[in-house]
Amino acid sequence: MATESSYDNVPRLVDHLFRHETGKLVAVLTRIFGPHHLELAEDVVQDTLLEAINVWNYKGIPEHPIPWLYKVAKNKALNIVNREKYKREYATAAAHLLKSEWTANAALETLFSESEIRDDQLRMMFTCCHPAISGDSQVALTLKTLCGFSLSEIARAFLTTEENINKRLVRARQKIREEKISFEVPQPEHLEDRLDAVLQTIYLLFNEGYNASTGPYLIRYELCAEAIRLTEIISVSSSIVDKSKVFACLALMYLNASRFSARQNAQGEIVTMAEQDRSQWDKLLMAKGFAYLDQAATNKNISVYHILAAISAYHCSAANFASTDWNSILLLYDKLSELDRSPLVALNRAIALSKVSGPETAIAELEKLKDLSPLKSYHLYYSTLGEFYMQAGRFTEAKNALTTAIALSQLPAEQELLRKRLEICNQNGA
Amino acid sequence: MKEFLLIVRTEGEVWTMLPPDKLRQHIEHGTAYIEKLVQQGKIKSAQPLDRGSRIVTKNDGLVKDAPFNETKEVIAGYFLVVADSIEEAVAIAKDNPIFDDIPSTIEVHPIKPIPASA
Repeated sequence: MATESSYDNVPRLVDHLFRHETGKLVAVLTRIFGPHHLELAEDVVQDTLLEAINVWNYKGIPEHPIPWLYKVAKNKALNIVNREKYKREYATAAAHLLKSEWTANAALETLFSESEIRDDQLRMMFTCCHPAISGDSQVALTLKTLCGFSLSEIARAFLTTEENINKRLVRARQKIREEKISFEVPQPEHLEDRLDAVLQTIYLLFNEGYNASTGPYLIRYELCAEAIRLTEIISVSSSIVDKSKVFACLALMYLNASRFSARQNAQGEIVTMAEQDRSQWDKLLMAKGFAYLDQAATNKNISVYHILAAISAYHCSAANFASTDWNSILLLYDKLSELDRSPLVALNRAIALSKVSGPETAIAELEKLKDLSPLKSYHLYYSTLGEFYMQAGRFTEAKNALTTAIALSQLPAEQELLRKRLEICNQNGA
Repeated sequence: MKEFLLIVRTEGEVWTMLPPDKLRQHIEHGTAYIEKLVQQGKIKSAQPLDRGSRIVTKNDGLVKDAPFNETKEVIAGYFLVVADSIEEAVAIAKDNPIFDDIPSTIEVHPIKPIPASA
């Protein structure tokens, strides 16, 4: 029976608890309708959820809500592929079996089985992260279709408008139709490159959640959790033989995620690694990270993820900031700069360098980079530089760098942290 | 992997002769059989045929059509299966639970693939 409270609970339950079911259902339905009908798949899932809200408001939430959702979605899928008008449009092998009385039910059972749904989510990742789709759109599409995020949630996560996100989604779906992007795990000869693209998008997703310091905490955390969930789907797939990079990426994400809750204090201010309360680091996530790092070591090919995970592992295994093994971390950054010559890597390497060879060496290294974009307009470049100048006792130069950093930073929590550093410069006569 | 067409022949009135519980059982067994094949990815297509078949022949230069005698023999439906060999396709046909319930024959025809272009 419906109770008073179910009126409040139903939309939230549907919206939130079924986020993952949404992603799964969109993946299965896309397999059935074909990737050119991706939006139809999304609409059918939306309809299914609306039906759930309506019926559950009236009759109460069923004892087994997920099978209930699946049943509704199955019926809708069956009706659509058998709608006379569109029969020819759904020419996928899956749809074909749904058009026959003999095979329809058997095909539905198989298509909606756990293992097929997992494979469909993997196929969906390759479709969403196809190189023909721009990077921005890949991330938005992944969040929308695979993670069941709403437009407003994606917009909040990326500090942009819903309209903007919608444009990216429209463009992405259009590309899928125009380029006839398939819904499948790529052939072995293309697999490595395409998997790299998928991991890159997922890692970007993780970093969006990990690095942004504004926006609702929950959404940031969920971005990280989703990135991990998607990578774990890849890690159990039998279609991918060499998973060394996948495990490395998981190790990196788990190790970084283990420090998540220590990075911000109760007031919402950023806590630097040096000041973090290490007892707050999540031991369970860390253990998973180390376990994946072991699995990643099965291959001689060292990827960027391997190196970043190893760096993270050195931080995680240090009892306190002072005992961090900076020599080993610097060596890893040297290796990383060989694989990735981006100025951002050089910036991070400079931090390790300052610990090993002192701030003056690191300042000299950073000054060499000062005209490179994106560093010359990157607040973290100036805040790092400011920090080194402070360590070197050059407070006037530190003040200049920190002032530039504050002007470039868009995140209040970060500006607050920088102002505190600036205050120390002032106290030291800058 | 090759494709095979399995044609299921039976008699028109046999379905109506099955008592209801036997018919239900027949459908259950059939569903389980098809489910297994779908899961294994062996079925490309399978459909029952409806009544009202016609047969077209040419006699003395004249093309004529006539009703198919459906009381004597009907094609219940077809399966398009993929298998490694005719032996496997035959094994799939032999597994069909239709044989337990009604007099039937299943023809197993290998489908000629498109020759690979040089």
